[in-house]
Amino acid sequence: MIQFSNVSKFYDEQIVLKDISFNVEKGDLVYLTGPSGAGKTTLLKLIYRAEHPDDGQILVAGWDVAKLRQKTIPFLRRNVGIVFQDFRLLPNKTAFDNIAIALRIQGLDSRLINERVNDALNDVGLKHKSHALSQHLSGGEQQRVVIGRAMVSKPTVLLADEPTGNLDSETADIVIKLFKEINARGTTVLIATHNRELFMTSGRRVIFLRDSAIEKDMIP
Amino acid sequence: MRVFLYSCQIALKNIVSEKWINFLTILSISVGLLLLTSYLTITLNIDTVIKRWGTGFGMVVYLDDGLSLETKETIKELLKQDSDILELKYVSSDEALKELREVLGNRSSILESMEANPLPSSFELKLKREALDPIYIEQKAARIKEMTGIEDVQYGEKWLSSLNTISVVMQAIALILGVAIFIAIAFITYSTIKVLFYRRKEEIETLKLLGATRSFIKMPFLIEGFLIGGVSGIISALSLFALYRFTVLKFVQFLPSIRGLLVSLPVEAYIAIPFAGALMSLTGSFFATGRIRY
Repeated sequence: MIQFSNVSKFYDEQIVLKDISFNVEKGDLVYLTGPSGAGKTTLLKLIYRAEHPDDGQILVAGWDVAKLRQKTIPFLRRNVGIVFQDFRLLPNKTAFDNIAIALRIQGLDSRLINERVNDALNDVGLKHKSHALSQHLSGGEQQRVVIGRAMVSKPTVLLADEPTGNLDSETADIVIKLFKEINARGTTVLIATHNRELFMTSGRRVIFLRDSAIEKDMIP
Repeated sequence: MRVFLYSCQIALKNIVSEKWINFLTILSISVGLLLLTSYLTITLNIDTVIKRWGTGFGMVVYLDDGLSLETKETIKELLKQDSDILELKYVSSDEALKELREVLGNRSSILESMEANPLPSSFELKLKREALDPIYIEQKAARIKEMTGIEDVQYGEKWLSSLNTISVVMQAIALILGVAIFIAIAFITYSTIKVLFYRRKEEIETLKLLGATRSFIKMPFLIEGFLIGGVSGIISALSLFALYRFTVLKFVQFLPSIRGLLVSLPVEAYIAIPFAGALMSLTGSFFATGRIRY
């Protein structure tokens, strides 16, 4: 589902990712970890083409990401749900509208949008906050809205960048449980985190990044 | 279609939420359009006056001396075939002399010293308004002059040329003003939409990351520009009509004889003003949203 082959990325001559190669199979849930500045966020950005690789090939759900034309990029992103570290919720919009926007950009019918957004709100346990403005929600609730938005379009791949970074352990557990549920429905999930507790006892595959390269790729 | 309707909804919300900047934009565009349409109304009125002056514009075709009656009839028939000629009147040399005497009045005695009538017989032609183009008239006069039995053709070249110059200058000013106001309106909308676009930069970045196409991102701004221009056009058309009615009322008070002479822009033009405004603003919005890169 996600395939990196000898991928490198530089920022102004400074190397960020060097000769990265790995595969994530369809339906896997994989953790990506490493110290700050190891290149986790950049690696995720390469997957949804917010960054362009300087070398190598990236295949995501059959798309050759590096070769995508500008006008095709939106269609790749519709197949990749993203849980951003800084949430990126639309201000002055309700939880419902924030989730619905992912479907509105695809031009879906209002009835179908209502149905799927309400399902997503149910899944993330925020049905009762449907009409609350995003800025009036707590950090954990905002994170769950972001997850709802990422999953509502039923993407083939879900990426999460430090999804528990700003959450207390109880809320973090709820969020991780949500990712596992999404994964159980067949979505490939890649979670970037520096929180060792999340993956050490998970029994899932973990890719360790250090100094811009893959240090280890293992199941702890 | 769903995306279009959603974009309309967003555009309307944006107009309301950013009411002050949009209000000022609408006001500026309305004033610009009002200036342009007022000038067009003035031009139309001047043009109408010019055409009124031009009614019955005459040309005199002087005949050679000693032409037979048949030749004169042939010339008359040939002239009658010209569709630009409204009226045709034959003036014999005797009638011409009689007219001259009447014009000279008490001083007509100066004609007594002449042994023979020096005035030629002629045809007086009245031409249609539509034919009042200096070059066209000059060519027509030249063609008539080439006919057998014609001594000379005279018409008010300078007068016709002056009228034509006024008309051409007015049209040129209208064109320049039109282009200038088009650019001004497009620029005003460009600035407004650019500001609104930057205010929503974060939101636009998020939409791009969620998979929104360029058209999905741009459409609300284009619709917003279109609506701003359209509303400005409606305000401008209503203001123009009110201004026209007020001017007519005031003019008639001071110059009652002018009643019925002042003309307004046709209804079609009034209907076209909002569309023109919308098109000008849409152009500005199009450039303001620029090229979106992922």
